[in-house]
Amino acid sequence: MTVKECYEAFGGNYEDAFSRLRSDDRLLKFLNKATEDGSFKLLTDSLSSHNLEEAFRAVHTMKGICLNLSITSLGNSSQILTEALRNREQYGDDLIPLYENVKKDYEDFVLSVKKMQE
Amino acid sequence: MSNIKKKILIVDDSELNRSLLADILSVDFDIIEAGDGDEAIRILHERELEISLMLLDIVMPKMDGFEVLAVMNRMGWIKTIPVIMISSETGSTYIDRAYDLGAVDYISRPFDERTVKHRVACNFMFSVRQKEMSELLSKQIYQHEKDKSLMIEILSHIVEFRNMESGLHVLHVNVITKALLNQLVKKTDKYNLNEKDINLIVNASALHDVGKITLPSEILNKPGKLTEEEYAIMKNHTVEGANMLTAIPFRKNEDLIKVGYQICRWHHERFDGRGYPDGLEADEIPISAQVVSIADVYDALTSERVYKRAYSQEEAVQMILNGECGKFNPILLECLVETAPKLKEELTVISLSGSVDNKINDTVKRILREGKTGASDRSIKLLERERQKFDFLSNISGEIVFEYSETPEEIKLSEWGASKLGLPVRLEDPKINSYWNNVFSKEDFNQFLNEIHNTSPENPVYTNRYLLHLNNQPKWSKVIARSMWSDEENPKFEGVIGKIVDVNDEVEAMEQLEHQAEHDGLTGLLNHAAAKRRIERILKERRKKYAFIVFDLDNFKYANDNYGHLFGDEVLKTVANRVKENIRVNDIAARMGGDEFIVFMEYKDTPLAQTDRIFKKLCRNYKDFPISVSMGVAITENFKGDYEELFHMADTAMYMTKQKSKRAYCFYDKNMKMVLRSADNLEDDDGGGKR
Repeated sequence: MTVKECYEAFGGNYEDAFSRLRSDDRLLKFLNKATEDGSFKLLTDSLSSHNLEEAFRAVHTMKGICLNLSITSLGNSSQILTEALRNREQYGDDLIPLYENVKKDYEDFVLSVKKMQE
Repeated sequence: MSNIKKKILIVDDSELNRSLLADILSVDFDIIEAGDGDEAIRILHERELEISLMLLDIVMPKMDGFEVLAVMNRMGWIKTIPVIMISSETGSTYIDRAYDLGAVDYISRPFDERTVKHRVACNFMFSVRQKEMSELLSKQIYQHEKDKSLMIEILSHIVEFRNMESGLHVLHVNVITKALLNQLVKKTDKYNLNEKDINLIVNASALHDVGKITLPSEILNKPGKLTEEEYAIMKNHTVEGANMLTAIPFRKNEDLIKVGYQICRWHHERFDGRGYPDGLEADEIPISAQVVSIADVYDALTSERVYKRAYSQEEAVQMILNGECGKFNPILLECLVETAPKLKEELTVISLSGSVDNKINDTVKRILREGKTGASDRSIKLLERERQKFDFLSNISGEIVFEYSETPEEIKLSEWGASKLGLPVRLEDPKINSYWNNVFSKEDFNQFLNEIHNTSPENPVYTNRYLLHLNNQPKWSKVIARSMWSDEENPKFEGVIGKIVDVNDEVEAMEQLEHQAEHDGLTGLLNHAAAKRRIERILKERRKKYAFIVFDLDNFKYANDNYGHLFGDEVLKTVANRVKENIRVNDIAARMGGDEFIVFMEYKDTPLAQTDRIFKKLCRNYKDFPISVSMGVAITENFKGDYEELFHMADTAMYMTKQKSKRAYCFYDKNMKMVLRSADNLEDDDGGGKR
């Protein structure tokens, strides 16, 4: 699987990422890094303990990473959750479906990158 | 620009984001990373000067990007470290706020490689330019001020040399004027003087006697009393000086000319209106002229003149207070009384080159402060802070810190160091400066300079021990110094920084230990090992003829058994003392242990007379106890062996002596024959005799 095919698999924009970062090697390196990043775990833990501030920062970081690497699907779902969490003080069940979307995109992303490595 | 990579600080809580930026920028820059605002601030505290640019994220735990910017504003770092924000926040409130807090640029995510590289390079260049311009500016201000001060000093020295005075009068008046004005503004704001005004008056004070250049030198340098007519001409130097200044075309409105005019014309006016030339009263006299008139009088009193001795500082103040030199403004008299003790110190250390420098430094500092040229002002502050730290550390460490510069050749000492050495902080021409040479002897200092000249920028440190005179006490001191080199391709030697550590106690303790290790505790003679080392050294050279004597006491056991060990010790000491008294400085004597001794001595033709004399001196009574020795002697003439062999020869000879008769000496014979001379055959002059 090429990097380009991998991008297609997790719903990213390969052309955009390549035009900005300018090498497949670099993309590969940072996609790998992104799968090892602890932000998603932090998001999951923070939400389950209703620590909204921490959850905001974690998903905000994910959004930033996705933007830089053009991981579009995960970037979009992260963006929606980020905005839902911005300046929010009360936990609410409306956050659950938003989190589930992020989770699904995240798992797709990790799976695709793993497949490419094999 | 140098080849060393400049450092960029990347502050982002996501490791991935930091490493992506690092990946892009590490080709051209060194990267330092911080994971949150706290860490960024800590790094800035420690490495502020190293960091050329900063990339800053906004949303971070603990301390966010805006808070970091706020701290950077408070600390003044924002003026010198350009900050580029990197954020996925694209709302104008975020961007505006970042710019308001001093960020120079804003890159929004997703960023691309070109943009990041380009903006970092641009902002970096811009800030370097700004620093360079700012440094250039301060250099120019410095040069300008230096030229200005120099011109004024040259001008006023011309007057003084004509006046046959030392040339220090202008400098003294300068210092006194400054001290009085600084004190005056502490007491009152009546005269509305700011730092710039004070500086102007201090500069212009140099001109106060410029009118004297128009006086005939017969009057100017007349040792006796002036006639009334001559005095009238003399008084006119005030008006002449003022006229000279107003006669300068196109410059009438320069502040320096205006203040100079006041000082020239009215520095002989008095507060009660009885001065000249205009008889102005009280504050009709401009404050500039009032202050300079007091300074002028004070320095004239405390300096020697053709017509008078120098009064002490206390006498001078008293005379001025008594009104012996006319009436002055009471508040200025108070200032004089309050500053006089400090003045005394300042005027004694004043030197011609130093004062110009001090004044210029003040001016440069002031201009930079007023002009808000951030970088240099901060650099100066930083330098000062470093200086303070350095002074403090060197003071508490009990070390004397010095700087030596080649041109102009001088030594500067830390304040603490100067007081420890009993020297001024600054010494000119140290190679021939008698104060300095009293501390650091000419020979030693020249040797030191030679050695430090031979160091290189790669290996600049030189350390040695010298016997220095610290406050007139000779003390072994360690001098640790580092040479300083210019920044050019072929670095030139510029000077030295170093410290002097008093290691006298250490050296004395070491010498004490060495002495102990080499000497026998009871008799004070060398011990065998030490004697052996020295003799071996001499044997290697084989330049002269030596005799090696081994002897022991014939009846020592008897002394110990019958008179006790203390008495036995006394006998050994006595023998040792007799040996010491009867050999020369370069001869070697040692106690081998027990009652056995050795002597190693030089001789010219034959060792016989020397040996005989020592033998006889030893064989004398101690109290009632007859000391008697048996000696064996070996000589180094035609001898090619080593110490062991020589010792063996002498020992054999001693053994032979004992076998035959005791109380005798005998020379080892090459053919193993002993030439034996019995003590009984000797003329007995010791009054002792055999037991």
